Amino acid sequence: AAEYSWTFQTSETNGEPQFEIKKEWAQNVKTMSGGRIEIEILPVNAVVPANQTLDAVAAGILQGHLTDPSYFSGKDPAFGMIGNLVGAWGDPLEFLEYMKYNGGDEIYNELVEPYGLHLIGSAATGLESLPSSKPIRSVDDLKGLKLRAPEGMVYDIFSKAGATPVNLPGSEVYTSLEKGVIDAADYTVFATNQAQGLHSFAKYPAYPGFHSLPMVSVSINKQIWDGLPDDLKKILEVSVDSMAYEMVAKLKQRDIKAVAEARKDPNIEIIDLPAEERAKFRNIARQEWEVWAKKNAITQKYYDSVTAYLKENGMM
Amino acid sequence: MGGLGLNAMGIEYGTYLLIGGIFGLLLTGLPLAFVTGLVALIFTFGWFGPNALPLITSRVYGFITEYSLVAVPMFVFMASLLDRSGIAKDLFNSMRILAGRLPGGVAVQTLVVAFLLAAMSGIIGGEIVLLGLLALPQMLRLGYDRSIAIGVVCAGGSLGTMIPPSIVLIIYGLIASVSIADTFAAAVTPGTILMLSYVAYVLFRCLRNPELGPPLPERDRLPAKERLVVIATGLFWPVIIIGIVLGTIYGGIASVTEAAAMGVVGVLLAIVVRGEFSPKLLQQSVQHTIDTCGMIIWIGVGAAILVGVYNLMGGNRFVSATILGLDAAPWVIIVVMMVILGVLGLFLDWIGIAMLALPIFVPIIVQLGYDPVWFGVLFAINMQVSFLSPPFGPAAFYLKGVAPKEISLQNIFMALIPFICIQVAVLALIIAFPEVSMWILR
Amino acid sequence: MTNEPSLPDAVEPLKDEPNSGDPSEDGPITGLDRLIGLASRAIAWLVFIATAISVYEVFMRYALNSPTSWVHETTVFLISVIFALGGPIALARNKHIRVRILYDLAGPRMRWVLDIVNGVLTLVFTFGMTYAAWLMFFTASHNPLGEWQLERSGTSWNPPFPAITKGVILLAVAIMLVQALMHLFHTLTHWPRQTPAQQGGR
Ligand code: NA
Ligand code: NA
Repeated sequence: AAEYSWTFQTSETNGEPQFEIKKEWAQNVKTMSGGRIEIEILPVNAVVPANQTLDAVAAGILQGHLTDPSYFSGKDPAFGMIGNLVGAWGDPLEFLEYMKYNGGDEIYNELVEPYGLHLIGSAATGLESLPSSKPIRSVDDLKGLKLRAPEGMVYDIFSKAGATPVNLPGSEVYTSLEKGVIDAADYTVFATNQAQGLHSFAKYPAYPGFHSLPMVSVSINKQIWDGLPDDLKKILEVSVDSMAYEMVAKLKQRDIKAVAEARKDPNIEIIDLPAEERAKFRNIARQEWEVWAKKNAITQKYYDSVTAYLKENGMM
Repeated sequence: MGGLGLNAMGIEYGTYLLIGGIFGLLLTGLPLAFVTGLVALIFTFGWFGPNALPLITSRVYGFITEYSLVAVPMFVFMASLLDRSGIAKDLFNSMRILAGRLPGGVAVQTLVVAFLLAAMSGIIGGEIVLLGLLALPQMLRLGYDRSIAIGVVCAGGSLGTMIPPSIVLIIYGLIASVSIADTFAAAVTPGTILMLSYVAYVLFRCLRNPELGPPLPERDRLPAKERLVVIATGLFWPVIIIGIVLGTIYGGIASVTEAAAMGVVGVLLAIVVRGEFSPKLLQQSVQHTIDTCGMIIWIGVGAAILVGVYNLMGGNRFVSATILGLDAAPWVIIVVMMVILGVLGLFLDWIGIAMLALPIFVPIIVQLGYDPVWFGVLFAINMQVSFLSPPFGPAAFYLKGVAPKEISLQNIFMALIPFICIQVAVLALIIAFPEVSMWILR
Repeated sequence: MTNEPSLPDAVEPLKDEPNSGDPSEDGPITGLDRLIGLASRAIAWLVFIATAISVYEVFMRYALNSPTSWVHETTVFLISVIFALGGPIALARNKHIRVRILYDLAGPRMRWVLDIVNGVLTLVFTFGMTYAAWLMFFTASHNPLGEWQLERSGTSWNPPFPAITKGVILLAVAIMLVQALMHLFHTLTHWPRQTPAQQGGR
């Protein structure tokens, strides 16, 4: 048997591609460690609800999780801010570059280690698409748009941009969008929306999205981490980096395929928001970042660090 | 983590012990909610140790904050209000007139009402409580056979997850990554067939023996004009209320859950207009709602805890290995999957089954070349069975919560047997002839 | 107008009050149970509030195009409180569903034994739950430094509902623990010599 046998819970159901990629990561870890580490990957809600995995990893019920930190915004707003800095990233690779080489991972660890977790590495799911039944060709088109927004910064930023955010749980999105209770939804990636048939009534998907890029934090119980030998630590870190790039590439590939399929349907109009409109939205978002920065020391630190990075790279 | 060493027995024997433990505890007469909860608690402690115990309350937290369950108390509230007003009695009086000389006619109409309710809700629970409070006492009052009346309420009230909107199919669509619209469409025909089969069964029984569903006696027959008045009076408010709920959903005014709240307002409005409103009526209704909810929700709580522990024990790997170990023809694998779903359905609630089994089954189905949408329909029908099958039949529990005292849980489960047989027959039909459900997508 | 009088009123609709017939099925047996029954009269109104604000949200969103940021969270919160406290309330009224096969076959003494077995099992369950709920509530009400800080929902409105809900779960299972203790004590002090009807159910 393996020296280390762990259970990690994810934030997806089993069918989603992210889940398969996470399972491959576990397989890679096993191969690379010569069978010394065996990780079981479980779907969302398998052991505890999605918003309780932080506590479960800390308590040692789970040994780790691969999840969107926004679920823990209620514990510390920094989770929401790092987990999904709305409007900041034009591409998941920018986000990964920032996290790995420009201090993001360190700030996240500063946040999460007191809870008894250690961030092995960051990944991202790719820019989400915004399924909408009304065309969004400019930021002005957001005015009065009834848009489903969950926890985190999304709600306030869309509110600032003139939209009418509706706080609705994920399980109600499909029917509500179909029947017209809401006009648009901050939901998930294009390919998944297409597969679920969302575009048959949300005919104006905004893609590539301009709003949301959720982080996937790959974290482990800190006590376990501290007790690991250096070779296994390195294997975990390197394998997470590799998974992060794989996730970007594979999800993009899948989106491209789905976009091609959607384009064949004359009823669906995929709208790519022009660069100047994206800039407008980012500026609105930045005002909200400033509000969040003032919430505590870590949100301030993250804000300073991210804006420095964005400025250095001419993105702001 | 060190437990009491229970984990040394391995997942296979662990599974048997877990099931055995549930059956053993059931027999003692311990409340069902505590049976599953206690077994889960013992396994958590014994397998993983005391540090893992917060898992249990974490599951409780997740379960009771589940948004889709918000509709349950709303429906129960609606039912309690209707029960205390004269609306239900008027409705069933007019249904009795409508049924006329047809034996079992009121039961048939109850099934039609259940079908309409199914289009108003995406879960089960609320509808069964609603029908259990309204239709069951009325059918018994009209001299209907108890078993038929119980079966109609439970089987009909379960249709909510077969007819769109359906949370079961939405969750299936998410897990299987297939179009939710397609699963909705594909489920409509089998759902209708289920309803019609229940109707056929009721008519078959009642035509052979009219005492099971007494037709309107000659002395109660009314002149045509009076008949119309009675029918119109009885149907007026129910039609308005159903219209409000369906209208708010299909008109895009409210989400499925909010529509249940709109229904409550509709009922309150009707009660006020009819001059039946009093603060006491409202107090009694909310009181009845919280009593009923406490009872039915805690059974779900117990099952939810159990699923979490079993998953952590590696239960899903065990089930997966068992299936993959089979070397058989594709259709045999389908049947085996159905049997496993059926067995899981004896103990777990549908969400637990979906979380446990679907991640394993769906990839295999796709690999075998079957359409996952079709399998989604099979899953939904299977869940219909699980709602009724003992020892954990949520439909039976929901009904027990509101049924007259003299009806025991055993009475209910006995009454459900023919309806379970019908469900299994429809399941077999859809397995043998997939086109019966899939034609709509061609 | 209707032909009501000719119908046999064989089955009356259910009433709220426990029916007086069989004490084993209904009715509080301890002072605490009675107290819980009284408190439930007030708590029950939460369902009315949840309904009313849901309708308010629909009106604000559909008619005025300005949905609230607080209704959905509050509704889920109120309903979860009802669900959690529904546990002790149902226990106080002995409404929890159970399989009564052995029970119905058993004589008064066997029932008494079964009651004790059930009482002990319920005690074990509620004790484990209370311990677990305490751990959960502590985590939700303290930050990693051990300072008092309530877990919030993380939404724009950001109410401390998660911490409060977990506190209510702790309250519910702790009440059930005390109920279980008192029920067990009641059973132990009531050795069966009265009529069988008074023994069943507990
Ligand atoms: Na439905
Ligand atoms: Na069942």
